[in-house]
Amino acid sequence: MKISDVIVIGGGLAGFMAAAVAVDRGQKVSLLTYGSGSLPLASGAIDFFNAKAPDVAIKNLPAHHPYKKIGLKACDAAAKFFCDVTAKADLPYNGRLSAQIPIVTAVGTLKYSCLVPESMNASNLAAKKKIFVVEIKGLKDFYASMIADNLKKYFPDKTFSVAKLDLNLLGGRDITCMDAAQNLTGNEQILADGLKTLDAGNDDAIIIPPILGLDGNTSRAAIKSQLRAEIFETTCLPPSPPGIRLQRAFMNYLQKSGVRIFENSKVIRGVIDGKKITGVVVENAVREKIFRARKIILATGGFYSGGITMRDFDNPQEPIFDIPVFFPTGAENWSNQQLFSDKPQGFSMTGIFTNENLNPIDERGEILFENLHVVGANLGGCDKIFERSAGGIAISSAYKGAIL
Amino acid sequence: MEKTTVVVIGGGATGLGILRDLSMRGVKALLVEKNDLVNGASSRYHGLLHSGGRYAVKDQEAARECIIENQIMRKIGKSCVEPCGGMFTRLDIDDEAYEELWVKGCADSGIEATPITLDEAFKLEPRLSRKHVKSAYLVPDAAVDGFRMSWQLIDSSKRYGGQLKTYTEVIGFDTVNGELRGVKVRNQFTGEEYEIGCDIAVNAAGGWAGFVGKLAGVEIGVQPDKGTLIAFNQRIVNHVVNRLHKSSDGDIFVPHGSITILGTSSMSVPDPEDTSTSRAEVESLLKIGEETFEDLRDFRILRTFAGSRPLYIPPGGAVGRSASRGFAIVDHEQDGLKGLFTIVGGKFTTYRLMAEKMCNQICAKLNNTTPCRTADEPLVEEVSDEDKNHAKKFFPSYGVNLAATRLGVDRFKRVVERLESDPESRELVCECENVTRAEVEEICKDDTSFIVNDVRRRTRIGMGTCQGNFCALRAAAVFADMGVESTAKDSLTRMKEFLQGRWKGIRPVLLGRTLRETEMTRSIYELSMAVRSYNDTESTPNSSLLIPNSKTGGAPQ
Repeated sequence: MKISDVIVIGGGLAGFMAAAVAVDRGQKVSLLTYGSGSLPLASGAIDFFNAKAPDVAIKNLPAHHPYKKIGLKACDAAAKFFCDVTAKADLPYNGRLSAQIPIVTAVGTLKYSCLVPESMNASNLAAKKKIFVVEIKGLKDFYASMIADNLKKYFPDKTFSVAKLDLNLLGGRDITCMDAAQNLTGNEQILADGLKTLDAGNDDAIIIPPILGLDGNTSRAAIKSQLRAEIFETTCLPPSPPGIRLQRAFMNYLQKSGVRIFENSKVIRGVIDGKKITGVVVENAVREKIFRARKIILATGGFYSGGITMRDFDNPQEPIFDIPVFFPTGAENWSNQQLFSDKPQGFSMTGIFTNENLNPIDERGEILFENLHVVGANLGGCDKIFERSAGGIAISSAYKGAIL
Repeated sequence: MEKTTVVVIGGGATGLGILRDLSMRGVKALLVEKNDLVNGASSRYHGLLHSGGRYAVKDQEAARECIIENQIMRKIGKSCVEPCGGMFTRLDIDDEAYEELWVKGCADSGIEATPITLDEAFKLEPRLSRKHVKSAYLVPDAAVDGFRMSWQLIDSSKRYGGQLKTYTEVIGFDTVNGELRGVKVRNQFTGEEYEIGCDIAVNAAGGWAGFVGKLAGVEIGVQPDKGTLIAFNQRIVNHVVNRLHKSSDGDIFVPHGSITILGTSSMSVPDPEDTSTSRAEVESLLKIGEETFEDLRDFRILRTFAGSRPLYIPPGGAVGRSASRGFAIVDHEQDGLKGLFTIVGGKFTTYRLMAEKMCNQICAKLNNTTPCRTADEPLVEEVSDEDKNHAKKFFPSYGVNLAATRLGVDRFKRVVERLESDPESRELVCECENVTRAEVEEICKDDTSFIVNDVRRRTRIGMGTCQGNFCALRAAAVFADMGVESTAKDSLTRMKEFLQGRWKGIRPVLLGRTLRETEMTRSIYELSMAVRSYNDTESTPNSSLLIPNSKTGGAPQ
């Protein structure tokens, strides 16, 4: 039997963040993960809210919104903590809650986020003279001419140039950005030499797919110093190197900090004592095991990660503790006619409701478990994709859940 | 003015069958379709090549036509037909007396229905309900790919000089003294209106035949009858599995490659454009379906879709399920308009026969005595094993057969050459359906590809497990490069339109693992790609007005 101060269930951004904050506060932390979370899918940037000043927008949200339970103070502290951790892991992030930073996407649109990896921060793009969009021979999913064509709509006065570099990437199968990033690690000079042939000057920008390694800033640093022009990475289709870098940075940080990580550990139920959860039962290939702790943080995610499931209509479940799940009833409220809609998707608002301590509550507002804190995409009440708040809610609810 | 002998209106199986038949008999013909090809019931159906068993009691003429055409289709459209066979199963809740009628009906119609023991039935179809199934028969049903058959019909027609214009809508008829002179049309993309001169026009617009008739001032008894279907992500059945009872909703399962289609419902609708589906329809289909297969709900649903059968209603005739599945040909000379015909009703299985009868009448008018050859000549030449084996060096061997039958001999050759010479073109645009970049590029250049959805229907990109998650971006980018200038450059619109097309069929089945897939789509395109621009939809704090309830009712207080 394993005993710790805190058990964090879930190996996504929220779970990592909660474990990092808890261990930083001197707690003995066990992190139970199953699968790889949604970071390999993510852009790598942390969105807080789709508004020019996210902090102001968050303050004005309706009472049932998760951010209202978390509070702006925790959001600010979480952003700061996040930047500290990533900086220590040599994966520097820029930004704050009161403004948005643009990054270039793989389709040539601009995406705005509060916290962005330095390698993607395109704030200076507007000041550049000429923009080179560079694709790599044999690399899938990066279409320089489409990116340039769409980016021109934001910068009609700039000169665009599309180029293609051969990094000898062709192999027996399709090459994704992740393969290229892996390939380039320790082998950066070939890219640096290729980019030098563009002859891009001090006032120019070079846009490339996110292939600058999978570990922190090392590959980027090796190339940056050799080029006069500033270099920007875009987002990409999964698997996404910027998301994987973040995942690796946190894993390293947690391991170094003494968090005990139990991978491939599927939590199947809790050990309940009235309004307390005294432990969780983990199922692995061989047998069931009980982990005990004073406090539990639930960060198993929403529909995407299986933290919330729904086999039959109008019957969503939280599969571990059977916490009541709130959802919009009826087919007409479940989804919008348009996939990319001008209003939130009902199904995506499904999740657990909590009090201000992030303890789960039922429809009468009664606390279900006093020592369980629900964080990240488990939280219901808003469409985090529509609002572009998924990352912000993940790290700030995790922060709050961990300090309580 | 553009001139032809016959204008065929409608790019469904019937219209395409007529185009092929006329072209083979040496009659100059041009087909116009207001949308993409097979946009109506010819693709929006379960893809069942009927043995006729389903009509053996109610309509033996239709049953006999089915079994004959079934044999012909297997011969001429070898690569479109999956000869999986069919099974009829009677459940404990079904009328036993009907079984006797059905066995006799099959015998009378020339359909071989072989009784099998329950043990055999469960061996052949292990998921059948042990609790409910009481008897089973094997029949020569098969699965047929409506898309593939249609592209092959076009290739065959073109070989004989047949012409084709998609996204070209008929807006009127030019007549002089009760005689047809031409058909007025509009290009859906450019808005350009013009006339195509002709001696004869055939209204083969299926569910839309009534609207086309109105343009000519003639009344046509056609009732669009909506059928809803569900596509599952797995092959649940090995055979086409039918319920042995009076034909009803949700009682046919058809295996297609790696998926299964369950259908259909039957509902009269005023507008054939209505291909909407609802959660209620899905629920009702599942409920009936799980009588035959109890674990049906454990399978992931890919999507749902609907199409409108063009049921022919003779004056005072029945509607819905009781309406005949037969077809009718009307010569509108009887209405005072010489040169216009309408063909309506029928079903995919008998499209060739319908086309033959229609073309016999047209040819009689034109004094053309060339006999029909559509039952004897295969639609297309098959790609040789040698070419296929050669292709296997360059792309996944599982995909080779599929690509060969999709593309046909000439295009396949070009694609394989491209794969050989340019290794980059070997990358898979669609991993689910094994579609290479070279194939997508080839089809982007086709004269019927105006939007990415057109490329989808020809290549199957976006039709598999991930429903466009990964290939939407890739296809829009390749199309922007290779497609027609007027529509391709707007890559973001094409990408969103493509995903929206997938969304339409996902919405009513948004549960289970489909929810997971959808959140992935949204996360990629809304968050990583920011396809919904930041400026136009800044989420105001009041945007989340919908407060969820728990299953026991009410939002928290």
